[in-house]
Amino acid sequence: MIKLYDYLLSGNCFKIRLILSFLNLNYEKIHIEFYPSEEHKSENFLQINPLGQLPVISDDGFILRDAQAILVYLASKYDKGGTWYPVKNTDKIGMISQWLAFGDSLTGSASAARLHDTLFYHHFNIEKCRAMAHSQFRILDEHLFFQEELGNDWICDGVTPTIADIACFPYIALSEEGGISRISYPAIRRWLDRFKRIERFVVMPGVFPAGPGP
Amino acid sequence: MTNVRENNLRKIICMEKNKIYALRKKWFPIASSSDLVKRHVFQAQLLGREFAVWRADDGNVNVWENRCLHRGVRLSIGINQGSELKCQYHGWRYANRTAGCTYIPAHPADAPARTICNNTYPVKEFIGMIWSGEDAIENDFSYKELSKRTVLRPVPINAPNDLVQKNLLNYYSELNFDGLLLNDGSIEINLGGKKKILFFIQPQDSKLSVVRGVLNATLSDEKRYHFLKEQNFIIERFREKMEQISENLNLEPMVAEIEEISNDLGEPPTKEDCGRKAELRLHVSERILTSRDVVSLKLKGIEGQLPTFHPGAHIDLHLQNGLIRQYSLVNGPGETDHYRIGVKLEKDGRGGSQYIHNNVKVGDLLATSAPRNNFPLRRDSLYTIFIAGGIGITPLLSMSKALHSMELDYEFHYFVQSEKDISFKETLKILGERVIIHKGLSQENTINKVRKILQKPGYYKNLYVCGPGPMLEATLKIASDLKWADDTIHFEYFKNDRKINNDSNFEIELARSALTLTVSAGKTILEILRENGVDLPSSCEQGACGTCKVNVIRGDIDHQDVYLNATERANKNIMMTCVSRSLSDRLILDI
Amino acid sequence: MVSAFQDPVILNQWHPISSLEEINPSEKTFQTLLLDEEILYKMDKENKVLVWRKGSRDENLPTKLAYGFVWVCLGNPPETLFLFPEFDEPNRKNKATGVIGVNTSAGRAIENFCDMGHFPYVHKGILGEEPHTEVKNYDVEISDEPDEVLATNCKFFQPRANVTSTKGVDADYIYRVPHINCALLYKSSIVAGKLDVIVLFVQPMREEQIRAHTAMCIFDDSSTEKDIRLFQQLIFGQDKPILENQHPKRLPLNPRMETPIRADKTAISYRRWLLNKGLKYGTVAN
Ligand code: FES
Ligand SMILES: [Fe+2]
Repeated sequence: MIKLYDYLLSGNCFKIRLILSFLNLNYEKIHIEFYPSEEHKSENFLQINPLGQLPVISDDGFILRDAQAILVYLASKYDKGGTWYPVKNTDKIGMISQWLAFGDSLTGSASAARLHDTLFYHHFNIEKCRAMAHSQFRILDEHLFFQEELGNDWICDGVTPTIADIACFPYIALSEEGGISRISYPAIRRWLDRFKRIERFVVMPGVFPAGPGP
Repeated sequence: MTNVRENNLRKIICMEKNKIYALRKKWFPIASSSDLVKRHVFQAQLLGREFAVWRADDGNVNVWENRCLHRGVRLSIGINQGSELKCQYHGWRYANRTAGCTYIPAHPADAPARTICNNTYPVKEFIGMIWSGEDAIENDFSYKELSKRTVLRPVPINAPNDLVQKNLLNYYSELNFDGLLLNDGSIEINLGGKKKILFFIQPQDSKLSVVRGVLNATLSDEKRYHFLKEQNFIIERFREKMEQISENLNLEPMVAEIEEISNDLGEPPTKEDCGRKAELRLHVSERILTSRDVVSLKLKGIEGQLPTFHPGAHIDLHLQNGLIRQYSLVNGPGETDHYRIGVKLEKDGRGGSQYIHNNVKVGDLLATSAPRNNFPLRRDSLYTIFIAGGIGITPLLSMSKALHSMELDYEFHYFVQSEKDISFKETLKILGERVIIHKGLSQENTINKVRKILQKPGYYKNLYVCGPGPMLEATLKIASDLKWADDTIHFEYFKNDRKINNDSNFEIELARSALTLTVSAGKTILEILRENGVDLPSSCEQGACGTCKVNVIRGDIDHQDVYLNATERANKNIMMTCVSRSLSDRLILDI
Repeated sequence: MVSAFQDPVILNQWHPISSLEEINPSEKTFQTLLLDEEILYKMDKENKVLVWRKGSRDENLPTKLAYGFVWVCLGNPPETLFLFPEFDEPNRKNKATGVIGVNTSAGRAIENFCDMGHFPYVHKGILGEEPHTEVKNYDVEISDEPDEVLATNCKFFQPRANVTSTKGVDADYIYRVPHINCALLYKSSIVAGKLDVIVLFVQPMREEQIRAHTAMCIFDDSSTEKDIRLFQQLIFGQDKPILENQHPKRLPLNPRMETPIRADKTAISYRRWLLNKGLKYGTVAN
C-alpha cells in the first residue's frame, strides 16, 4: 500500500495526488500540517524526512522524498501504458528531466511568492520571487506556443502528457495567490485548460476545474 | 511649493485621461484568432480595461467586460459551455451574443423578472486577429482582410505603448529592414520580395504593450515554423531592450472606471412594469412547415440584439389584423440571434393561427413583445419529466435543450396523432434517446401511458406538462392521484377553455396606492385598473399565461383562470386580474 | 486609496492581529501589518501581550485580549468589543483554526463568509452540490442594540450531512456581523438546542490585503483538532481564489455597482450598514 505524507495546500504534494489519481492508484493520505503547527518540522516527521519537507511517500516501506523523484518512481513503476515517463525513450527522458528541473525551480519563485502572500513567509523577497516567476513563465509560454505550432499539446510530447506537465502544473495554476498574473501567457492558459481536462484530474483549493472540453 | 507640484500632477493626470479617452475610440487587436480555442475563455486587456473573450460553438466571438455583474468575479475564470458562459462564484449563466443572464441558480423557481446584461464591447475578426475597443466606432475600422497571412506570436512587453511604437521601426532598420509608420499607427516592415509584416501595438496598460504582427503570405509548414521562430527571436530581443529602457519608469496602472448599472438593478427586483406593449420589430427570416399543420417561424431583429429569453418564455405577436397571440419560444441556450416559434393551424380557433398560416411570409415585419416567462424551468431538479401533447411541445423543447446542455437528467414524452404531426424533428434528433414519441394513442391508452410515466414521484423530481386542455387536465389529475407534490408539477395551458362568468359587481381596494375602485359586471379588474391609470403587465388576457398576476391581501377570490395550481388557489393570496373576480364585496389587492 | 488616518471608523476600532495560541509559549517577537502600518507584538514571561509600532518600541499600543485573540487599536479605542457570550460557555472547545492571507478587502471577505449561494460551486460536495442551488427565503435585520447585522432562518442543502446519510439535508444557519470586519456563523451542534459557532475575524493589513483569522467555538467529541483545522483551511483555500478575482477588490457601497438578488439580503444590509457608518477604508462609494 502506498502512503502519502500530504499537506492539503501544498503544490508539491498536489503533484503526487495528481499522478496517483491519473494512474488510478489507491493510497492512504497522512496529513502533515504545514501550517500553523509546522508538523513537518516535528521530531516524528524528521525521522521520516530529515529535510523536513513534503511530500514523502512510503511504498510498502520504501520511503522516498522530493516531488520530482516520486513522480519518476511512481510513473516508472505503475504506469502500465508507459506514457507518463517512457523509460525506454532516451530523448524523451532527457527532455522530461529538463522540465522536471524547471518545475522544481518554481518552488523558489512562484511557490515562494504564494507562501509569502498566503502564509506570511516574510523572509522571501517577494518582488524578486515574482520577477523570477515571470521570466520562467515567459520561457514556458514561448515553448508551449511553438509546441502548439508543431501540433503538440504537452510540454514534452504531442499526444500524451508526461510527468513534466505534472511537475509544472501546480505552482503555475496557483500563481495568482502569489500575485503573479497570467494575463501575458496565453499559451500557458490554454495548456492549463487542457491539463484540467485529463481524465481523472482532481482539484485542490485554489485551482478551479475546467468545463467540459471540445 | 507642494501646491504647484500637485497642480502640475493633476494636469498631467488629466492629460493622460484625455489621451486614454481618445484611444478608447480606436480599434486594437486584443487576441489572435488562434488564441480562442474551443471552450476556452481568453483574458485580455486594453487600456486598463480587462475583457473576457470567448468563442461560442457557433463561431461567434464575445468580448465582455471581465467582471460578473453579480459580485464582480472575473468571467475569464468562468466556464465556456459552448453557448453560455458560466460564472465560477454562483453559477450565473450568460448567453452568447447578448451577455444576458439566463439563469440564476439561487432562485431556480423564478424566471428573472428583468434582464441583467453584462457589458459587451464591439468586436471584429480580421487578418487572423480579434479586434475591439471600448468605445470603438463601427465605421472607423480601416484594416483590409489579407487573403494570405501568417500571424506572428504576440509578444507582451513591459513598456509603454508609445515607446514601443517609436522604437520598433528603428529596431528593424538596424537589422537592415526598411519600413513605414502608417497613418493608422500600424508599422509596415519590408522583408523584401513583396513580403511585408504589418505590426500593431496593443496598449494593454500604462506599462504593458503587446506587439502583434502578421505577414502577408501563407507559408508551408516547415517554413512557417522557422519564420515564426525567427521573428519571435527578433521581437524578444527588442522586448529586452524596451524593458531595460523603461525598467525604472514608475507609471500608475490605467484606471478603467466601473460603469453604474441602471437604478432598478441595484436593488433586488420588485415588480415588472410593462403593459401589453409591442416593443420589438422582428422580420420573418425563415418559414417552414415543420409538420402537417405547424409552421415554424424564425424571427430576426432589425438591428441590435434581441432581449434575453429563458426556457419556457413566450412572446406576444401583434398581428397586422389587430389580434394579439402568445407563442412559446423553442430556442435553446445560446441561440440568441433569433427567436423561433411554432404555430399550429387551429381550424376553429379565434383566427390568429389562420392569419399567420395564410398571410405571414418571409420578409414580413412583425411587432412583438419582449419575451416574458411565466412558465419557468427549475434546474435544481435531479430528474425532470416532460409531457408534451401536440403543439404543447414548443416551451418544453426550449426547456429540454437547456437541461441537455447542462447535462441534467430528463425524459421527454411527445404525444402526437400520427407521424405527420411530429414537429421539430431535427431538434428532437439532437436530444436523442431521451425523447419518446407516442403516436396515435386512443384517449384511454394515452391516460394509461401517462399513468405509467408518472408512476414514481420522487426526491427532487419535477414534471412539466403542456398540451391540449383535456390531456392536461387528465395528466394533472393522474399526477395528483399518484401523490406528486403540487410544487413539483408545472403546466401551461394554451388557452382558457372555461366559460368565464363576469356577472358579479364588487369593489377593489389598492392597498399601496390607497385607491378604491368599482368593478361592475362585464368589466375585468385589469380593465378597471388600466382605466384608472394603473399599468399592469398582461399578455393572453384570458387567464392562461400568468402575466397579470397580483397578490391579494384580503377577500374571497373567484378564480376563473387555468394558471394557478390547487395549492396556490387554496392559499387565497394570488389572482389573475384578467379573468378572476371576487366572491366577497371587496378585494384588497397588493398594488 | 484612503489612508486609515482619514477614516475614524476604521481607526477607532479594535482589530484582531493574532490568536493567543499562536504567540503563546514563545517569547518571540512577531511582525505584522495593520492599516498599512508595520507593528510588532509579543507575549512576555508574565503572559502579558505587548504591541508597538515599528520604530517606537517604548510606546505600547492599546490592546485587548478577548475571544482567544489579541486586539489592537491604532486610534481611540472603543470601550467595549462586541458580545460573544458562547465563548465563555462551559463544555465548549474554543480553538483558533488558522490564519490565511488573502489579497482582497475585509468587506469582501466578510460578505463571502455570509453568502450561501456559492456553496454548490465553490465548496462543491462539501457545503453544497449542484443542482441543489436554491437559497430559500430568510430574515435579515440591522439591529441597534447590539449594533449588528443579523440573518436568521437561513437554510441550505448540504450533501451527505453525515457519513450514513445518502440524501442531503437542509442545514440551518444563523449569521451575525457584530463588527465591521468580524462575522460569526451559528449552526446546529451535537448538543440539542445548542449551536456551534464558527468565527471569522479579519485583520485589514491594507485596503486590499487581509489576514483572515478563523476559530471555532464548538461542542465536539469526535473530530480531532487537526481535522477541524484542515477543514477550515480547505474551505478558506477554496474561497481565496474567488476573492482574489473580484473586481474591484474593495467592497462597493454604491448600490449601483453590482446586481444583488433576494439571496443577497445579508450582503445588501451589510453594505448599507457600512455606508451609514461612513466607512471609507477598503470600500468604494463612487
Ligand atoms: S459573481 Fe458571478 S455569479 Fe455571483
Ligand atoms: Fe465560501
